[in-house]
Amino acid sequence: MNGLMITPRARRTGIVFNRSTFFDILKFLALIALLTFLLYRGTKSLGYNWQWYRVPKYLFQFEEGKLIIGPLIEGLMVTFRIAAFGLILAFVFGLVTALFRMSSSFVARVVARGYLELIRNTPLLVQIFFLYFVMAPVLGIDRFVAAVLALSLFEGAYASEIFRAGIVSIHKGQWEAAHSLGLSTFHTYLHIILPQAIRRLLPPLTSQAISLIKDSALVSTIAVYELTMQGRAIVADTFMTFEIWFTIAAIYLVVTVALSIVVNIMEIRLKIVQ
Amino acid sequence: MQGQPEREYIIEVEKINKTFSGGVHALVDFSTKVRKREVVVVIGPSGSGKSTFLRCLNGLEEIDSGSIVIDGIPLDDNKKHRLEIRKEVGMVFQLFNLFPHLTVFENITLAQRLVRKKKKEEAMEMTVNLLKKVGIPEKANNFPNQLSGGQQQRVAIARALAIMPKVMLFDEATSALDPEMIGEVLEVMKNLAREGMTMVVVTHEMGFAREVSDRVIFMDFGRIVEEGTAEHFFTNPQEERTKLFLSQIL
Repeated sequence: MNGLMITPRARRTGIVFNRSTFFDILKFLALIALLTFLLYRGTKSLGYNWQWYRVPKYLFQFEEGKLIIGPLIEGLMVTFRIAAFGLILAFVFGLVTALFRMSSSFVARVVARGYLELIRNTPLLVQIFFLYFVMAPVLGIDRFVAAVLALSLFEGAYASEIFRAGIVSIHKGQWEAAHSLGLSTFHTYLHIILPQAIRRLLPPLTSQAISLIKDSALVSTIAVYELTMQGRAIVADTFMTFEIWFTIAAIYLVVTVALSIVVNIMEIRLKIVQ
Repeated sequence: MQGQPEREYIIEVEKINKTFSGGVHALVDFSTKVRKREVVVVIGPSGSGKSTFLRCLNGLEEIDSGSIVIDGIPLDDNKKHRLEIRKEVGMVFQLFNLFPHLTVFENITLAQRLVRKKKKEEAMEMTVNLLKKVGIPEKANNFPNQLSGGQQQRVAIARALAIMPKVMLFDEATSALDPEMIGEVLEVMKNLAREGMTMVVVTHEMGFAREVSDRVIFMDFGRIVEEGTAEHFFTNPQEERTKLFLSQIL
């Protein structure tokens, strides 16, 4: 292969470093430089008074050698909690809805379809308001629970279509083999169908998880003090609109990219096992 | 195996009909009975209904009318009956249908644990024995896609045997194999027949039929056209359609 060295690492990751890779990186750096320049020109013409030096203390600060967590990081922790509970619930809603849609029971199919269409065809913001202002007093739940519930119901509807696609994609022969061995429908799903489907579903489910994390910003509208809400409060106090919002965007970016990387590693591992 | 005293029937099929949604009448008033320890080979052109017949026997296809009784249990709407029949009937498919995410060992152990509720040690012992029986004990920890077609089909046979069925169904078990691998799978099937397993085998392998079958059924258009020993089909087929079909496959 043109005397090209394929290192063990390259074999594992599929990345081969050669001259064209070098030029690719050069082009990428040029693009970044151009974008930075444009951004600089844009903000310059704004006449905005940048005060980046005031931002770090909203992340964290040291006082007398002790680490004090700032409101943005506090908000991020709340976002994490919302996202964690939300994701678990969303996947449960998604899986149950998918199974309902494929079940032989007419009622289950109608319920699943109704939920799916209702959620997909109305704005998330309205759903959050509905749950918090209308349902929460009836059910006696606080704003955090209402937020988690609204988000997971919303993302769950989308996740259900992903689950369904994954389950349908498993070859009919797998069902027949399980059936002929006397496995129940439950055991067939648990041991045969879902383990195979999950491998195919990881990439689209990751997108859904990222959506959930970003959409969690919307629960700031019902005054849940997550990352975005903290940001709004700080902006109201300090008028550092751009600094704070850019910082928040960067935090979301770091979180979602980290999630993507983790899932990528999981995917590679699952492939090796199979 | 002629001349032996009358045995109890283990499969009783009475006038079953099956029409597919496309309007194809796959089985037409189809009746037959299979004795315990009998090996029945079903032959016939593609689309003659032989696979459908097999798939009706363990409930993979629903019949429109008629009755199927396996080992005294009627295959009806009763879920308990259906489950019981699925446990008593093992099936081997043309395309193996092994579980790709499980090792060979796990493929064979799974149903023993879940369906037969065996203890772990018992199931493991049985799996080891079954793998020896089909001649690939060294492949226990491989995944199906690391095996040849012939090896995969032998694992599939071991997997079906693991639930200790009373009847084994073979749906064109060697049709998807490369020619050099057909022999090894047929060998396993022949051994099984000699051990006295009741078998219904859809195949085109007339050599197999001649060696181990008690009866051959020739089907066309969802009906039995001719029925007899393998020898009868080789030496003295009666129907024109049978002769034509045999001349094409032999």
